[in-house]
Amino acid sequence: MIRQLLLVFLLLVATVLALGLGQASLGPEAVWQGLTGGDDAGALVVQILRGPRIATAILVGAAFGLSGAIFQTLLRNPLASPDVMGFSAGSGLAILGAVTVNLAVPMPIVACAGGLLTAAFVLVVARPAVGRTSLEGAPAVTIVLVGIGVGFTAAAFGSFLMTRLSGPEAAEAQRWLAGSLAARDWSDVLQLFGMVVVLVALLLLQVRNLRLLELGSELATGLGINVRKSRLGLSATAVLLAASAVAIAGPIAFVALMAPPLGARIARTTDAGGRMLASALTGALIVVLADLASRAMLPGLQLPIGVMTGILGAPYLLWLLSREIERGEL
Amino acid sequence: MKTWIWLSLLLCAALWLSLFSGARSVPLHDAVQAFIAADSTNADHVALLYVRFPRVVAGLVCGAALGAAGMAMQVLTRNPLADPGILGVNAGAAFAVTIGALLAGRADGALLAFLAFPGAAVAAVAVFTLGGGLRGNASPVRLTLAGAALSALLISLVTALVLIRGESLEVVRFWVVGSLAEARTRPLLVMSATALAGGAILLAIATKLEALALGETLSRGLGTRPRQVQATVLLAVTLLTGAAVALAGPIAFLGLMVPPIARRITGASLRPGILASAMLGATVLLFADVAGRLLFSPSEIPAGIMTALIGGPVFVLIARRLSPGAIA
Repeated sequence: MIRQLLLVFLLLVATVLALGLGQASLGPEAVWQGLTGGDDAGALVVQILRGPRIATAILVGAAFGLSGAIFQTLLRNPLASPDVMGFSAGSGLAILGAVTVNLAVPMPIVACAGGLLTAAFVLVVARPAVGRTSLEGAPAVTIVLVGIGVGFTAAAFGSFLMTRLSGPEAAEAQRWLAGSLAARDWSDVLQLFGMVVVLVALLLLQVRNLRLLELGSELATGLGINVRKSRLGLSATAVLLAASAVAIAGPIAFVALMAPPLGARIARTTDAGGRMLASALTGALIVVLADLASRAMLPGLQLPIGVMTGILGAPYLLWLLSREIERGEL
Repeated sequence: MKTWIWLSLLLCAALWLSLFSGARSVPLHDAVQAFIAADSTNADHVALLYVRFPRVVAGLVCGAALGAAGMAMQVLTRNPLADPGILGVNAGAAFAVTIGALLAGRADGALLAFLAFPGAAVAAVAVFTLGGGLRGNASPVRLTLAGAALSALLISLVTALVLIRGESLEVVRFWVVGSLAEARTRPLLVMSATALAGGAILLAIATKLEALALGETLSRGLGTRPRQVQATVLLAVTLLTGAAVALAGPIAFLGLMVPPIARRITGASLRPGILASAMLGATVLLFADVAGRLLFSPSEIPAGIMTALIGGPVFVLIARRLSPGAIA
């Protein structure tokens, strides 16, 4: 519990730093003034520019963190996450498609539909021809590999659609596809907050199932839950969490992959619920810090946040792989 | 013999289409004239000689190089998912060229293109080592994931570098997905020669590589030195991939989808397999380029996007067929 509080504290520090630093740096008192309703220039920076951006970062990070934690627990594989398995790319492709044909449907719905379709596709395609009745479904590595391929394909279709957009639109789409928190306002925050709250409530209802599933499908069946249904419910919740984050901030890579193991390590918790909380907090921390770095590291230039998380996350993935190989687990 | 005639015919068709289709249609008579007695005031001649011809040559060289490199990597790693794009070798080359351009502070000249080779070499060795290739137990999932992770890292870095230099979206796209549209500004002659050298090395080592594919112990018994063969094949792959990236950017999936077809046509023997793979690679890339040019003419879809559109599903098909035992 103390360690969870440590994560909360770290997130608070990161938030204050992120509110203060940027093209124009503000001191802590200026940030405080902004938060408590001042109306000078610094306060406006906090309230209108950085406030919504950082609130979005926290929510997006938490959603990705939760999504990754659910998949890694369900599939018992540290590589399982919506970004590696291509679900985020599917959501992103759906949005890009909707923009290209000027579809008048709210983007979160489009993203959710895209994510769910992609996930369903990956799970069905990965299912082995024999043993279709087994409770376990496809082996995790096959799902991950097929997911990577589907992600590649979705990304290719995305690039294809982008060539159909006009110059400025394409540049905007390119930034968004790399993941970007630029130009978020409070209405985005509210929308995302609503979706995350609903999905977290759904997740809370299913945490018991997740704990039982961790014991293995046979034992879980013995304890009276419908394994297939619970898996589907949890997977859908995880896909929707990732999709709602993608709808606002684009398919930011590697957050969902990194957050769960890092969170579990910092919080030193083994309980499923505790790990979810730690992963959400860590995800938020990663996105806030990566956003800060992408804004403030190079003066006069904003890199897409996905570029930052890619630079941080890919070495982590490589390290994870080499460790798994050492242990002979992969 | 019949298969070779068919392959040549297909390749010729691709060359023909790619030379003669496009926004400007040039009659055959004029085209022949352009090569025999070029008239620099004739717009058709200029377009053919200085725009389309380099593009066709680039497509031919790049496609053949990637096809051959893909075949070599799949045999070397015993991994049907191996491809210079998926394993990050393309991205390594692209990264080295973009970082060179950033350090040199100017748009990428011909000299900078040579950085593609050290970039490709480092990436190839890194992925091969990370995936457990040195210990001779590179599993498809390890190699693929190591490659995907390395590509993701390098592509993030390339995007960042290009954005730092304030380049346009077109330049980002060239260095991230690859295209033949820039062919006339790339060092065609040198890179073609390098790719040829790489191909020659590969053909020379092919029988030893075949022996290695039987397993290290067995290949030692047959008198090959595994490390030496591995190093030579990696050298050839580096030359081939580096040349391809220097000409057309990191074109993905060509080396993934062509070799299985080539194997099916030519059987188990590797040397004809490499040749067929090279021919098919060039054919597919040229067709992809023509399709990209014609689909929404006059605007163009980069060839790299077209190959990825076909290659992504092929990757999924191969991945799902691998039995879990073979993966892990």
